[in-house]
Amino acid sequence: MTQKTRSYLTLLIVFLILASLWYLYPSVKLWTMPQSKKEHLKSTEPQDLIELEKKALSLGLDLKGGMHVVLEVDQSKLKEGEKRDAVDRALEIIRNRVDQFGVAEPLIQKQGGDRIIVELPGLEEVDRAQALIGQTAQLEFKLLESGENTEIVLKKIDEVLAAKEETPFDEEEKEPVASTEAEEKKKAEEKKKIAKDLFATEEPESVSDTTDTSSFLEEDEDEYYTERPFTSLLENMGGYYLGVPIENKAKVELFLKDPDVQAVIPEDDEFAFATRTEIIQRLEYQKLYLLKKRMEFSGKYLVDARPLARDEYGKAYVNFKLTKEGGRKFARLTGANIKKPLAIILDGRVESAPEIQSKIRDEGRITMGGAATFDEAVDLSIVLRAGALPAPVKIIENRVIGPSLGQDSIRKGTTSAIVGFCVVLLFMAIYYKLSGVIADFAVLLNLVFLMAAMAALDATLTLPGIAGIILTVGMAVDANVLIFERIREEVRTGKTVRAAIDAGYKRALSAIIDANITTLITAAVLFQFGTGPIKGFAVALSLGVAISLFTAVVITRVIFEIRKGYRTLSI
Amino acid sequence: MLEILKKTKIDFIGKRYYAFAISGILVIFGLAAFIAIFLGKADLGIDFAGGTMMQGYFEQEVTIGELRDAMSRNGYDDAFIQSLHREVPHYFMIRVKTTAEDVTQIAQGMLDVLEKEFPGNKFHKDSVDGIGPSVGKTLQKQARLAVLIALAGILFYIWIRFDFRFGVAATITTLHDVLLVLGILFILQREVTLLIVTALLTLAGYSLNDTVVLFDRVRENLKLFRKKGDFASTINASINEVLSRTIITSLTTFLVVFILFLVGGEVVHDFALALMLGIIIGSYSSIFVASPIILEWEKRSPRRFK
Repeated sequence: MTQKTRSYLTLLIVFLILASLWYLYPSVKLWTMPQSKKEHLKSTEPQDLIELEKKALSLGLDLKGGMHVVLEVDQSKLKEGEKRDAVDRALEIIRNRVDQFGVAEPLIQKQGGDRIIVELPGLEEVDRAQALIGQTAQLEFKLLESGENTEIVLKKIDEVLAAKEETPFDEEEKEPVASTEAEEKKKAEEKKKIAKDLFATEEPESVSDTTDTSSFLEEDEDEYYTERPFTSLLENMGGYYLGVPIENKAKVELFLKDPDVQAVIPEDDEFAFATRTEIIQRLEYQKLYLLKKRMEFSGKYLVDARPLARDEYGKAYVNFKLTKEGGRKFARLTGANIKKPLAIILDGRVESAPEIQSKIRDEGRITMGGAATFDEAVDLSIVLRAGALPAPVKIIENRVIGPSLGQDSIRKGTTSAIVGFCVVLLFMAIYYKLSGVIADFAVLLNLVFLMAAMAALDATLTLPGIAGIILTVGMAVDANVLIFERIREEVRTGKTVRAAIDAGYKRALSAIIDANITTLITAAVLFQFGTGPIKGFAVALSLGVAISLFTAVVITRVIFEIRKGYRTLSI
Repeated sequence: MLEILKKTKIDFIGKRYYAFAISGILVIFGLAAFIAIFLGKADLGIDFAGGTMMQGYFEQEVTIGELRDAMSRNGYDDAFIQSLHREVPHYFMIRVKTTAEDVTQIAQGMLDVLEKEFPGNKFHKDSVDGIGPSVGKTLQKQARLAVLIALAGILFYIWIRFDFRFGVAATITTLHDVLLVLGILFILQREVTLLIVTALLTLAGYSLNDTVVLFDRVRENLKLFRKKGDFASTINASINEVLSRTIITSLTTFLVVFILFLVGGEVVHDFALALMLGIIIGSYSSIFVASPIILEWEKRSPRRFK
């Protein structure tokens, strides 16, 4: 190894250490945060906590607790024609329901021909979730509350919340709020700008009957946000819907759950979010509607719904058919509410709220909004059919990991990792003296690099994954044992320190690579076929083994190079 | 220089017939277990067989016997019950192999039984593992495929890495190691779960370690000993030379897995056990299986020192 290579390698090592610390910082911050602070953050800045959780090394269901279910869509009772997209319909329904739990990283996925995987990490309301997932879909049609009434309700909510803000809970909770006041102000400033931009452009789906909202923006700007804790989180007010920027959504939901807020919402009204978020002017929004609670029409009257390609005006359509009885009811409903929007609601979430153009009997057409793609028309027709043709699902795999089991696994996993790690470090230091300490340093770096790589690659840490890390520690020192034993042998045959080190590394390398390659082969196979926790094991093991090639062979070598000048070797 | 072993001169090769006997018997158990698994007759865990496992705690004291009686009175004759040490007292794991396509029903049925049999002593469920028979079948298929592909991959690597005879010996040794661990687990009546399969595959990759190190040395020494000495003593000398290496390399990995076995909790208990067995057997087989195969082959058809 030349002087030059050595310097380059040293630089590389330093760079890798810094990069690792960068990637590990969010995890350390999250894991060392006391529970009380987490709770506080959750109630004040939920989005910040979610961001932090996203950046940190994510924990698997077996450690975090949560729910993993596999559903099978039962198509046996469906007719040939109805089977077509039965799984897609079920998927759509489940996705919609799961969204309501506000779980940080839900996974909903098709598996094979007729199975759906649903994974909800950290969920505690397991029984409710299971009941909800297994339920038949509820498709309802409801009218929206008028713009004037919506504005009145919003004003009341603002008043209630503003009154609350003035009487803060206690000193302790007030402090962190104060410290971020400047930041808050900056954020608010930005929001105002966005709000203005939004109003400046024409909204394609908004309806003519809107109240004038410009007054909101002309008022004294400083007071605006303290007086309107709720509406300042919203945008595009006064139309038939309210735009909630996605970063405000958690807070809006929190406010809406507040009993004092609920008390001012009229009894026959309710708030409902849209199913999906949408991008308006490059910002992500989720629409919020104020609905009239009364169900005007039910999905059970639907016979079929089909998407239609975009026509020459660039519009996509969904055609739908109703039963005879449904047609009569729908005609009465639509005839009485022409030019008013009608919300289509699947399981409590608004899929779409088209404006009623004319009286509709048993066949109708929904014209999608200006920018809607054909895919959105497909989605809406799936939803309409889901209400009409619910395919029953059954849970064929059900894994629920309670928080106490997860905690127990974390504790035991960490304990065995720490104890195992210390035993190995101690053994190496005693048996190989200074060289052992060098190997210990390499193993320590191996561990840091491994965790950082897992965080950077968005891998998930599971209990078998911790076992994989433990195994990696054992195997990583293996490589150093191979090298050191070889160096000892070379020293015994009377070689100089320099020659012994060179020969030791050279001759041990092939055995080290052999052992690692076969381990990597198995890890790759396990990754391909394993279930969640085992995938975690495969990831930890393969990354660990690959990294150990660098730490155990290259890093120790660089350190040994410096010691080559010595006459004797502490080994 | 701190050394566990000074220079040794043990006649390993001379003792190969004892080793063959021990390995032979255990391999038969392993094969029996292997065949039983493939036929679906072995004691498969609920991952593969389907079933429901529930963990949770009672508010007041309950003995395992009471719990077992309560379960069998209600049709769960095969219920497996274990008391677990957790922060909360009266913590149990109950496992039944009863299956139904909708697995939530089984868990609910179990909860109903517990509620009926222990009125006033509520059972709080902490975790549930419910696996329907069709999922078990899918997992079985996947595990089988994983075993075949992993073994094929490792064998392929051995073939390109070694020449023919060493390759065959290493292959037999790898299969021997896996079968032996499986055989011992079979004797200990451990259930075959997803994690056990994972452990077996991992040690298939790992146990080769010692054989590789030893074969490297044998090849080196064969060149040196070309003119003097016979084949058996060359191999014996090689084994003695790498003995401390074999022991120490395995020792570090063994230590960490042993600690995992002791404090890792019941989820990874059998997993760690399988790995521990695999590490020991991997070292043993490099000395008593891999090397003697080379020797016996050489004796029957000399191709010496090519």
